Amino acid sequence: MDRVDRLYCFLRERLGLDDLQRLASKKRIPIHGSTHFYYFGGMALFLFMIQIVTGILLSLYYKPSPDQAFESVEAIVTEVDFGWLIRSAHSWSANLLIGVLFLHLLTTYLMRAYRRPREITWVTGVMLLGLFMAFGFSGYLLPWNELAFFATRVGTAIVGIVPVIGPQLLLLARGGEEVTGDTLARFYSLHVVVLPLLTFTLLGAHLFLVQKHGMSVPGREAGVHDDRAGSPSMPFVPDFLLRDMVGWYLALALLAALSALFPWELGTKADPFSSAPEGIQPEWYFLFMFQTLKLIPAYIGPFNGEVIGVLFFGMCGLVVLLTPFLDGGRNSRAVLNVLAAIAVAFFIVMTAWGWFSKADQQLWRIVLGALLTTIALFLLVPSTNPKTGARQMLYGFMALAVVVLLAAACWEVLA
Amino acid sequence: MVDGRQDGNRRAWLLRSLAGAISATVVAVFYPVACFLRPRRATVSGALEVVAPFKVNELPDASGNPFNFGGKPCLVVLTPEGTKRLASGARLRPDDVRAFDAVCTHLQCTVEYRADHDDIFCPCHDGVYDLNGRTVSGPPPRPLEMYKVTLRGAAGKEEVVVSRKS
Amino acid sequence: MTSLPKHSVARVLVLLALGHAWSAPPSCGQPAAEQIGVLPDDYSCIVCHLKGGTLWTETTPIVDEQALAGDVHWQKGLRCHDCHGGSPTLDAFKNHRDDPTFHSLRPRDKIPGFCGRCHSNIDYMRQYNPSARTDQEQEYWTSGHGRRLKASSEGENPQIDMAVATCVDCHGHHGILAVNDSNSPVYVKHVAETCARCHSDAKLMAGRTYHDRPLGHDQFDQWKLSVHGRAMLEKDDLSAATCNNCHGNHGALPPGVNSVANACGACHGKIAKLFAETQMKHKFEDSGLPGCVTCHGKHDISQPSDEMLGITDGTVCARCHNPGNPQYGATVAGADVARKMRSGLDQLKHEIELAETNMREAERLGMQVRGPRFDLRQAFDALTNARTLVHSFSPGPIEAALGEGLKVTSEVNGAAKGALREYTIRRIWLACSLVPILIVVGLLLYCIRSLPTPTHSG
Repeated sequence: MDRVDRLYCFLRERLGLDDLQRLASKKRIPIHGSTHFYYFGGMALFLFMIQIVTGILLSLYYKPSPDQAFESVEAIVTEVDFGWLIRSAHSWSANLLIGVLFLHLLTTYLMRAYRRPREITWVTGVMLLGLFMAFGFSGYLLPWNELAFFATRVGTAIVGIVPVIGPQLLLLARGGEEVTGDTLARFYSLHVVVLPLLTFTLLGAHLFLVQKHGMSVPGREAGVHDDRAGSPSMPFVPDFLLRDMVGWYLALALLAALSALFPWELGTKADPFSSAPEGIQPEWYFLFMFQTLKLIPAYIGPFNGEVIGVLFFGMCGLVVLLTPFLDGGRNSRAVLNVLAAIAVAFFIVMTAWGWFSKADQQLWRIVLGALLTTIALFLLVPSTNPKTGARQMLYGFMALAVVVLLAAACWEVLA
Repeated sequence: MVDGRQDGNRRAWLLRSLAGAISATVVAVFYPVACFLRPRRATVSGALEVVAPFKVNELPDASGNPFNFGGKPCLVVLTPEGTKRLASGARLRPDDVRAFDAVCTHLQCTVEYRADHDDIFCPCHDGVYDLNGRTVSGPPPRPLEMYKVTLRGAAGKEEVVVSRKS
Repeated sequence: MTSLPKHSVARVLVLLALGHAWSAPPSCGQPAAEQIGVLPDDYSCIVCHLKGGTLWTETTPIVDEQALAGDVHWQKGLRCHDCHGGSPTLDAFKNHRDDPTFHSLRPRDKIPGFCGRCHSNIDYMRQYNPSARTDQEQEYWTSGHGRRLKASSEGENPQIDMAVATCVDCHGHHGILAVNDSNSPVYVKHVAETCARCHSDAKLMAGRTYHDRPLGHDQFDQWKLSVHGRAMLEKDDLSAATCNNCHGNHGALPPGVNSVANACGACHGKIAKLFAETQMKHKFEDSGLPGCVTCHGKHDISQPSDEMLGITDGTVCARCHNPGNPQYGATVAGADVARKMRSGLDQLKHEIELAETNMREAERLGMQVRGPRFDLRQAFDALTNARTLVHSFSPGPIEAALGEGLKVTSEVNGAAKGALREYTIRRIWLACSLVPILIVVGLLLYCIRSLPTPTHSG
């Protein structure tokens, strides 16, 4: 014990552990109806750590060339010990991470946690979400399988629609006229060098700002406990940390179960000269954009429909990014909630639509998809205040999910 | 009511078991990671370059010939000139060792080298190829695909590295 | 008799004719005009035999300049008189029939000799191709075509068969291309079509017989759909058998009943060798059955399949080895062998399929089965080999080959099942890893509960 103590003293003196300890003990987490929402950030961070570790491991065997990319991933899955697990975990964790980030964004929005002085925190958060979506997009191509190849071709083609600079952007994204080995190299470099660097920078800023400003307490909660004693809270260490750890462990268990039960499929090697197979789809988190662009007519008045769609999503992204500066304050609550409801409904409907219009649609998938949505929303119910619009909004979403469930089921049965 | 001492004991037990369980999960997580880092067995899959599982001096009857070259059998042949050179201890020329896709172009049987005829022979329908892979007689419609061979290592005991001509 | 214009006038006219050739629209083929243009000014054949020549009339046979320029003979420097004789420097009209130096192509039976004048003369041919064959004319007279031509031109009142093929019918006349020129009608890919020009003509073939059997006119249509025809026409496999591989080229004749196996054996050597050593061969010869053709057909040979083997309905063995109604003295023991061979092949095929299914399943689950998959090739080899050995018509060799295949499939199946077992083990292992995770979760929850209730911060 002596030695351990001495080592501790040694490090304390040199690393300033006291400050850290003071900081950790000072940090408190407010307690209110929406405290659950605070878990999403930590959960995302945990999943990102898993991505880093599994990503580094995969890069030990992966070879980013069209000749060998597919083969090397195949070798990872079949030849390397536990390669199947690492690869499945990387893919599943990526999807869970995006899902958690969406929820993190939504809950932060519903709590209005982006208001003064946390505007920059929000902006960095939205940018991080964009970065992670870029991670997903670039990572999707790396195994160089048929589905990824054609989805990337379609996905990058959308970039080319952007007015004026579109064609140049397309060349830049693909590294040529077509999706080739150069595209693969670009996406690889993006995935393992450029995006991680940007992410670390932004994530550092994001976390620093979260520590600096402390946890935001939703206005209505602050109003409820507006007395001398202050709002109830718990210390971060150990109370909240332990709760966080429960979440992490559950995520770990989920990841292990998913990887074991549903190993991520590799598909067949991409053949650039073959015709695109049916049912080409991007990852689920791009599906709503993909589906919308598919539904927009070729021409709206004199304008190109696709251009309008791309511009629309560009505008949406900008609005989300600048939410803190567009928020009109206390009086705009109804507007903000309705906007969020519309956005979420749009996302769910379009994703469901895209998902169900897959060539190999099956009834149980539809039921499962809508059922999961309903359950997820139901789980959120206790965290909302019964008297506020948030609860009603939640009920609205649930009703919507049920409608989607029924509509999709009817479609499946009738078609 | 529980007194403080008992409470402390229980706390200590709780922390100990928590630490133990967490270490167990950490081991469970890092065991696969450690295994992943272990070099894989020396099979090369679909890669452009494969080292034959035998040395040049074991030819022509080397065990493991033809060997697995990206899922297809690859036949390595030492030409008669090469055999003479090897016997006399002279350095092998690059052309002395040749490698072919050992799948007969007729009905996909595996072909073999016949040292007494100096040709490549398909036993299924008596297809005969010369040492350039060209059809000499029998039903094969096309010549055998020839791979690039690189020799490396000590003279007389060179390793045979086969790669696809691109 | 018409008097020719003066030499100088003829010269002008020839130049005019040449001018006409020059002004003709440029063709994508050979520069015909240029080739013709190298003729000496006083080359007089074209005065009559070129369309638009001075003395050309509707009834004069003409030469197509463009075809002529591409002709292999023309390109080697031969000119009209080198083949046709006569003189190209005539300055007065002369009927060829009156010219003893002129080589006539009429009547039809003179054509082989016309070509043979050079092509049967090795001293002459050597100048152009030292390894040239000079036996074509000789071969021709032994062929079905040659014999018929000769027979029809002999006797007191010869009635020459104008439909029988001679050199020019296959090779063309003015515009003969080398055999290895892919536009030549006798280029390997076009041989069948060229033969079919006559042999698919029902009118032309009507009433014609060979050994008292009608010649028929559907050989080409059958061949087109046969394994050989498809290999040649669809897969561009130039080594596939076409008419001349079985019938010969200049000496074209159907192979005799007992030499069919030799004709097929030219390519299918191993099978011919196996067949030659069987009793079946002698039985066939005794019964007048034409070897391979008996089971596989002739022009319509299809891809052989295992369904041909055995004694069930539709198999070729059952045609003779029918226990109820044996033909040509076929034995019941033979039927037994056929049944055994078939069931052996079916068993190996089934085992291979099973191994494939297991491996696909293992692969789908991300398991490594590349090694077993590679080993399975040997089972395919054994299957192909066994199919070949069927032609030994004895159960011994085929059983040995099948046994080898079955050994491989059982190994591969074992490996694939092992991979599937390992997959299950993985899942169990993962399920086990959930236990410590859930224990930690439980302890954490317990820990949280044991903490003092959160306080209101000051």
